[in-house]
Formats: sequence, C-alpha cells, structure tokens
Amino acid sequence: MSPEEQKQPTHPETPTAKQAQRSMLLTALYIAQAQYGHLNDEALQRVAERLGLPLSEVYSTASFYSLYRLKPVGRYVIQVCDGLSCHLAGGADTLVDYIRQKLGIRVGETTSDGLFTLQTVECVASCGTSPAVRVNDELYENMTPQKVDRLLDQLAGR
Amino acid sequence: MTKVQITIDGQKIAAEAGSTVLEAAREAGLDIPTLCHHPALSNWGACRICLVEIERQRALQTACTFPVTEGMVVHTESEKVVAARKFVLQLLFSERNHYCMYCQMSGDCELQSLAYRYGLTEWPYPRPVEPLAVDATRQYFVMDHNRCILCRRCVRACAELVANHTLGVRERGIHSMITADLNVPMGESSCIQCGTCLQVCPTGALMDLKSAYRGRETQVERTRSTCVGCSIGCGIELVSRANHLVRIEGDWDAEVNKGLLCVVGRFEPLFDDRQRVTQPLVRRRGLLEPCEWDEALGLVAEKLSGDSLAALITTRATNETMTQFGRLFRSLGAEMAAVGSLAPAPGAEGRLTDLAEADVILVVGADLKKDHQVAGAFVRRAVDRGARLALVADADNGLASYATWHVGFDQMDSLVGMAAQASRPVVVCAADLPAEAEAALAPLAGKASFLGLSRGSNSRGAVAAGLPLSRGGEASARVLYILAEDDRLHIPRNGAGFVVAQASYVGPLTDMADVVLPAPIWAEQSGHVTNTEGRVQSVQAALTPPENVWPTVKVLKTLAGRLNLAL
Ligand code: SF4
Ligand code: SF4
Ligand code: SF4
Ligand code: FES
Ligand code: FES
Repeated sequence: MSPEEQKQPTHPETPTAKQAQRSMLLTALYIAQAQYGHLNDEALQRVAERLGLPLSEVYSTASFYSLYRLKPVGRYVIQVCDGLSCHLAGGADTLVDYIRQKLGIRVGETTSDGLFTLQTVECVASCGTSPAVRVNDELYENMTPQKVDRLLDQLAGR
Repeated sequence: MTKVQITIDGQKIAAEAGSTVLEAAREAGLDIPTLCHHPALSNWGACRICLVEIERQRALQTACTFPVTEGMVVHTESEKVVAARKFVLQLLFSERNHYCMYCQMSGDCELQSLAYRYGLTEWPYPRPVEPLAVDATRQYFVMDHNRCILCRRCVRACAELVANHTLGVRERGIHSMITADLNVPMGESSCIQCGTCLQVCPTGALMDLKSAYRGRETQVERTRSTCVGCSIGCGIELVSRANHLVRIEGDWDAEVNKGLLCVVGRFEPLFDDRQRVTQPLVRRRGLLEPCEWDEALGLVAEKLSGDSLAALITTRATNETMTQFGRLFRSLGAEMAAVGSLAPAPGAEGRLTDLAEADVILVVGADLKKDHQVAGAFVRRAVDRGARLALVADADNGLASYATWHVGFDQMDSLVGMAAQASRPVVVCAADLPAEAEAALAPLAGKASFLGLSRGSNSRGAVAAGLPLSRGGEASARVLYILAEDDRLHIPRNGAGFVVAQASYVGPLTDMADVVLPAPIWAEQSGHVTNTEGRVQSVQAALTPPENVWPTVKVLKTLAGRLNLAL
C-alpha cells in the first residue's frame, strides 16, 4: 500500500488501527485457548504478534478474566455454578463437595490422570434449571450427585 | 481561548474550557491532593484521592478527570470530601505494607504525606499478613510490590512516554500486581531500564539502589543541567548532597526530552566506579608519581613547544573548553581533532519534535535501543500514534519489532522512494554511514527533514570551535596531548614519544601517559554543549572537584601563559 492509501482516519470516532487490533484481543485469546487448551506463553506470544499488541497488555487482559486459563487444565473442565439460584437450589455446595470427594481434588485442581479439573463459577445463565454444571462448553441442568456420577463415568469412557 | 467561570472553595476562577477541575484549581493555586494523576501522563481517575464535591452532582467526583463547565461550584475540602479521602487512604494503607519507618521514601512519599495531611493515626482495617515479592532482578532499581498502591503511573509512563509497553497489571482486585511482559521478572523483561517509571512512582515501590536512604528532598540540592551521555543532550536535574551525586532525574520542562532519560543518562554516571585522578602525575622510571602542578605543567609546556604535535579532545567537553583547546593547539601548529563525527544531513535539518508529526520515519543505520535511546522513545511513540517506521539497519536492530519495513543497506533505495512519497517524512541517520547510504539519501533532500545523530555528545560544538572530527586513532606525532576528561577514549600511542593525558579517571590513557593532568568530571564544570540538533544548552556544575583538580579551561590557559601565547 502506498502511504497515500494508508492515511490515518480523520473522523474522531474512527478507531485507529491499533484500537481496532485491540478490540479483537478477547476473541483472539478465546481462539488461542481453544487451540492450545490453555494460554501458555507460546499462545500469548502468538496473539500478541498477530495483533501487534504488547505482551504486557495481552497478559494483563488474559489474567484479568477468570474464563481464560493461564495454567494447564484437564481434558474436561467441570464448572459447578455457585451463583445465587444454584446456591439456593442446594446444588452448589453439595455438588462441589461430592465431586471433590469423588475425584480426590480440591477446587482449582486437576486429577492426576489429567482428565478432570474442578472449578466453581458464577451464574452460567441457566437459573431456571439450577443447579447447573458446565463441562467444557456443554451445559448440564438440574444436576444431582447421581447425574454427576453418570456424567463423569461417561466422560471417563467407563 | 474560551474561558468558563467557576467557583472553587468560594474563589471565582476563569478556567480554560476543556480543562479538568484539578487543572483549574492548580492554575489558581489551590491544592487538591492526587496520587494516580501525573501531569506528564494521561488522566486515569483510579485512586479516588482527588474526590471533590461539585454542586448539583449526586456523588463526589474525581477532580483529575472531571471537566469544568460554566457556573460550576466546587468544594475541595468539605466535610464529606475529607471523610471520603480519609477512607480512601485507610484502604490504601490497609492493602499492603506501608510501615513508613522502614521505607526509603519516608519523608518524600506522596502517600505518606497525605496520611499526615488527613491525620491518619491508626489502621481501622486488618493489615496484610502475607509479604509480597520484591523484584530485584534489574541492575539499577528495585520493585517492592509491598509498597505499591497500584496507581499505574509506572504503567502509563512506560506505555505513553517511553512507548516500551513493558509494564501491565496482572489479575484483578486484591490479587492485582504490577507485572512485566508475560509475567516475567523485570530483569528478564523487555525493560530498557530508562527509569521513567521510577521517576513517576509516588511511593517507595520503585526504589533506586543508589539514592535509597541517601537524602530526602529537604536535604538535597538540585542543579539543572544537560546530559552529555550522547548527542541528544537531555535536560536533567542533578540531585546531590554533601558533594555527592545522589540521583539524576529527567527535567520535565526540558524542550529536548520533556522528562525522559535513558539508562546511560540516569544511572551510568552514578555507577561509575573508576578511580579518580586527584593530582598531577609524572612518569619516572616507568612509574607514575604524584607531583605539583607547577612541575607537571612545566614539563608539558616544554614538550609542546618544538616537536611535532597532535592534540585530541573528547566530545564530552564543553564549547568553552573546545574553544580554548582550539586556540592553544592551533597556535602551536598541532594536528587537532575531536573524537566524534556528524551524521549526514543532505536536506533541511530537523528537530526531535518533528518525530511527533511525522507520518513516515526512515531510520538509517541507527540502533535507537542502544544509542540515543530517548530518540528511540520518540520514534516508538510516533509508531504508536500511527506513523510508520522504515528501518535500514542490521537484522538485530532494537526497533525491528516496531518497523513496518526493515531492509539492509543494499535495498535502501526502495524505502527512500517510499519516504519521498510521504507527506511528512523524517529521516533519522546515524553517523559514519557507508558512503553509498549517504548518497542514497539524496532524493529526500527538500522533501524530508533530517535528524542526524552525531557520534560524541558535543561533536557539533567541536565543529563550531573549528576542530576537525576524527575517530581518534589516526593522529601520529612525536608528542600526543589527549584531553579526555571523564570520557572512555581508546587512543593508540602510534609511536608518540611523549603522551599527556588530561583525564578524570585512571584507565588505559593514564596507563600510557607520561604526564597525567587531573581533570574535573562533567558534573563538576559549567559551560555549554551543542546537541545533535544544534541546540546550545547549558551544563551546570553540581559538584566541586577534588581539591587539587583544576578546571580544564584553567589548565589550557595556564599552559598558554607558560608558552607565552597571548590567547
Ligand atoms: S510501582 Fe509505583 S507507580 Fe507503579 S503502580 Fe505501584 S505505586 Fe504506582
Ligand atoms: S525502566 Fe523504562 S522501560 Fe523499564 S519498565 Fe520502567 S519505564 Fe518501562
Ligand atoms: S538519550 Fe543521550 S542525552 Fe538523553 S539521557 Fe540518554 S545518554 Fe543522556
Ligand atoms: S445461578 Fe447457576 S445458572 Fe444462574
Ligand atoms: S488523582 Fe484523581 S483519581 Fe487519582
């Protein structure tokens, strides 16, 4: 492109090239996380390079949002909803305790076979069918310990 | 400029339209406290210490971000405001370790002084138990997260002023921490140790290893001067106490650098651990022995008259020294040279400030991460703003990641052609370019403004004083006079039978010298230097030289007197 064609936008509301790149950051991180499983240095570096953003900015953003994972997680990330509705439905505490005991890990940890990671999250927008559990991108509704048993067995391929 | 009428604390003020309440208040001499605000940085509005009461606004507002409007009535120290500020301070003090008596900033800390101002006498909230990390991985200064109030001045300074973007804030809420790049130790990060973050930090979180605990603001002296670390000639403030340099700060009001400095200017002079020459020395039976000025000058004067003579001078010297040196050695018929060189400027000479307006910046042969680093910051800022960088340089150039185009000298023509099409091109060239590169710039004459970066701090001053420039190795004569002052010159003897070194420090030059005349360092002399743009700037002595060290010009004049030269 000639410098003429690359003239900076003049309208005050028009984002600069840099701002436009920045606005893609969340999506880019999401895609990178899907590809790499978690946002390791290589993934973050590639995002920074592709968008032309500083490493510090990419890291600050990635570490700000709890849905981005900076550490490796298991193949299945079990997110038990601890939002108000799920809590009142009696699900959260019971389910978390149940899964903790069953898998022998604490919240935030991963089983030694690398299969499951347990997390608690705020409202996953399924209050009508609480308690809710999300595994990777799948939603499981009206959960009970029995349903958790079946789900985990199925995921573990048993 | 349009003005709006506002009232602050009962005082009627005509404030500039578009300014903030804080700016209007400060303009009128009213003091609203701030922490995250810094005049050189963008407004952030994060710390909430500047809260003020504005009539007809429901909540308290941050003065540092709130724009003035016609008829606005502001109260800056109302009961409500004071209570809110106290609350903010209590939260800040409870979040991390602020035991001031163990902090090097105690006495100069902006947070501490606000605690005094608002009478904080206790911690109403539980204080932190877990100590945070101290990052001491950088060579010249330390980051103590325990003292950090997360005001983000450092982050903004690194991004907006230095355009290096090393710093960020990781995580959020109580877990927030200042971090570098992908959360690596500062010393392993992209940080270039310019220390701009250090200069703006309001607390003891960023701590300079040399100045820590060495004097509060009320105990030190400040001298405005000019850095002679390179030919940019940044404006500095020398902070000294009891004839010792404590710290060097960037002068926010200096036209050249507007507060910025680089690692060379801010830290290196303080960490210079070479041994000083404190008296004249004469070589006897192979060894340098102390002697009186009279004897040393007598010996030198004798050698200067008669034999074939070469005289070299550092380009760290002032214009005054250059002039005197030129007079003396010209009348002695010496082969003279100053050790430096100018960069080519085939067209109109530009200024550093042109970079702020440029749309294309063509950098030829210069690595602005290694040399002339403050110019590097201005180039990066321009790129952040949307200018495009065309780099003609080695592959490992420090600004490579900012460049839109990056080629070697062999392909330079394409970039020259491109720059010629731009509407406001600026060419930044290094000194000592290959002749073909210099020739290749010719088409830009009349189109671009040229910013040549001369090698040697005061090469332009040398040229103005009629001294030719050289690399310093070519001189060959029976007698060699080297005026080095505090410069680290490497000059071969080239078979000279007698060598005089006028030097501040012991080193390779004094090792080969037959007579050593002690010289002041740059911070001990006043005068002027001419920067790479041709700007004549003043150097001010902040320190007194050791007792037996004479000013350089006095030595040159005395020698002239001994040789019966009327100069
Ligand atoms: S290090 Fe200093 S400037 Fe940076 S956020 Fe902490 S207190 Fe503010
Ligand atoms: S020293 Fe300079 S480059 Fe390093 S973090 Fe501070 S402002 Fe950024
Ligand atoms: S850029 Fe040059 S003049 Fe400025 S601080 Fe660095 S060495 Fe000194
Ligand atoms: S609270 Fe669990 S889905 Fe809304
Ligand atoms: S100084 Fe205004 S919010 Fe920090």
